[in-house]
Amino acid sequence: MSGALRTLPWGSGGLGTQDHQRDMYLPAFRGHPGFTVVETAAGDLTTAIAETGAQVVSVCAPPEERAARIVEALRAGCHVLADKPLALDVADAERVAAVARETGLVCMPAHHHRFGAAVQAARGALAAGRIGLPWNVQADFLVDGGDPCPQGELVNFGLYPVDVVLALTGQAVERVHALPGRDPARSTLLLLDHEHGLTSTITVGRLHGTAAAPGMALHRYRVSGSGGVMDVDATRPGATVRTASGTRTAWHGPGTVGRMLTALHAAIVTGRPPEVGPGDALAALRVTDAATRSLTLGTPVSLDPSEV
Amino acid sequence: MESHSVPARVLVVGTGFIAAQHAAAIHAEPRLELAGVVDIDPGRAAAASRANGGVPWFTDLGAALAETGADGCVVCTPNDTHADIAVQVAAAGAHLLIEKPLATDVAGARRAVTAFARAGRVLMPAHSHRHYDYALAVREAIGSGDLGAVDLVRLSILGGWIWPDWRGWMLDPARSGGHALHNGVHLLDLVTWWTGDTPETVYARGRRRTAPELGIHDYLEMTVGFAGGAVAVCEMSRGHAPTSYARRDVLVTGTGGILTLPWDAEAGTVTDESGTALLPPGGTDGFATQIAAWADALTGAPPAVTGADGLLAVAMGVAAERSIADGRPVRVADVLEEAA
Ligand SMILES: NC(=O)c1ccc[n+]([C@@H]2O[C@H](COP(=O)([O-])OP(=O)(O)OC[C@H]3O[C@@H](n4cnc5c(N)ncnc54)[C@H](O)[C@@H]3O)[C@@H](O)[C@H]2O)c1
Repeated sequence: MSGALRTLPWGSGGLGTQDHQRDMYLPAFRGHPGFTVVETAAGDLTTAIAETGAQVVSVCAPPEERAARIVEALRAGCHVLADKPLALDVADAERVAAVARETGLVCMPAHHHRFGAAVQAARGALAAGRIGLPWNVQADFLVDGGDPCPQGELVNFGLYPVDVVLALTGQAVERVHALPGRDPARSTLLLLDHEHGLTSTITVGRLHGTAAAPGMALHRYRVSGSGGVMDVDATRPGATVRTASGTRTAWHGPGTVGRMLTALHAAIVTGRPPEVGPGDALAALRVTDAATRSLTLGTPVSLDPSEV
Repeated sequence: MESHSVPARVLVVGTGFIAAQHAAAIHAEPRLELAGVVDIDPGRAAAASRANGGVPWFTDLGAALAETGADGCVVCTPNDTHADIAVQVAAAGAHLLIEKPLATDVAGARRAVTAFARAGRVLMPAHSHRHYDYALAVREAIGSGDLGAVDLVRLSILGGWIWPDWRGWMLDPARSGGHALHNGVHLLDLVTWWTGDTPETVYARGRRRTAPELGIHDYLEMTVGFAGGAVAVCEMSRGHAPTSYARRDVLVTGTGGILTLPWDAEAGTVTDESGTALLPPGGTDGFATQIAAWADALTGAPPAVTGADGLLAVAMGVAAERSIADGRPVRVADVLEEAA
């Protein structure tokens, strides 16, 4: 499609067995009118960009080299969609953030859950003061079945609900306490203290898999404010279709990844700051890092105020 | 109390807000008979007498026990009076169903438990939620093994209705023990009973939502770490907005599956000018079930809730209050040891 942004998929690595490039991003890029996927047999990224004339790179390089590839793509003048986690440690995430700032290009970490229709609507309502000043969020992010992540689910998808809570409230995290679930690799409880006295509590876990697996067992946010309460089921919108072969959810509109690509496209073509950037990846990473420390220590961990 | 043909004679002590539900349960239970009512406020005692067919009324518990020769007491007085009243009831050789919390501190709860062990009488703390349909349903689902080993539990009981005004003893931490003791023990006891596990740590966060001048935390979040590996998040709120807000929500995940019990699972809803609310669930009367369990215990069955359960819930409540003050997790064993 002419006018569509030439998009180069780079890498198929992820934590454990996951391949977000094949399973999530490529189908979404292919299905999105704002992008056209380009391909090449080139073995290194800079050459591939030059050969294809790519404007956007979808980086799913293995986590250990992901930050390096993102920087390489930015240096070659491309906008980036970066699989999560954008980097494995804070230093790498900071490096990516610095290069993105320097080049002025869009570098979007694939925190797609914050783009969900229900989350976005809630975010807008909160920002408009619909329930007054928020003081507490209770969140559940429980995945039903699938392959457990060898690095643990806190590292794997813990950042999603943390990012959503930050997107909803805009209140930075100052202190983190974490408790391990029965199988610490499978589930974690996060108890966060934010700015302005806001507190949040997030369950992060992967169930062993029910008859309904794979999918989302529960993905929801209850936000309490000085003037009311908001219940956000992030798995909505969706019609429930129950048939002889089981139960499924059906919906016509774009999902979270498609909506994220629309935001990516808008940021690139308008030049307006993207809704989510490397700073958000850094903020979420600091929380999950602190949670890992809290799990080891058994006590709450304060984030360095200079980092917040 | 061997024979069912002779009902046990029972005093209701403290005839305030909750006493009427206990009295109604006693009337409906054929194995029990109301022998009299006691309240230090003579007006209330007399009114309770009139409301209950003119049973004898007293302003002094000792006199009531002596004159009626009652077999048991149902105590519904303010929390700070519980430990002493329990010891007095045990000394009189009567059985006891006592409103929660068993006491406002661990030492008091221990005194009560010891007194009843010595007297050889039944002590049952009124952790009424254990007798509600929803709590029994969750307990049965976990007990069936369908959920496997319990991993995460969420129990949220949220409201926006704070006690009437500053004169309510519930708002005075010295009298109520603080909100973790006053209402928190309901949830702490329930998640412990559901998981069948030993609570190890409590990490709690509290808020004063209705007014900064509150002495108690009208919103409580109490996170319990259990020895066997389960974790429970208990939210108890009287500080939500709007004041009409009322929600109860349960989540249990385990190695075998997930249970959800959303706020509207128990009944239909009604929407009017004041918003959407739940219609009354037409379930079992928990107070009737509770009094029946106590009557069972009087005839030799093990009590549905033991003095030790009440003591543990008090220790967890104390741990929660301390955790809020310190901002760190508190070990339940440390709280229990201090008062040993
Ligand atoms: N299980 C539940 O759901 C539930 C609900 C509400 C209250 N409660 C418990 O019930 C108890 C009573 O609460 P309430 O709301 O009915 O309080 P309330 O203030 O309405 O009633 C307490 C009554 O006890 C009387 N009293 C005070 N000290 C006394 C004493 N030493 N001897 C005799 N009478 C005395 C008071 O005059 C008053 O009439 C508390 O322990 C509370 O925690 C339990």
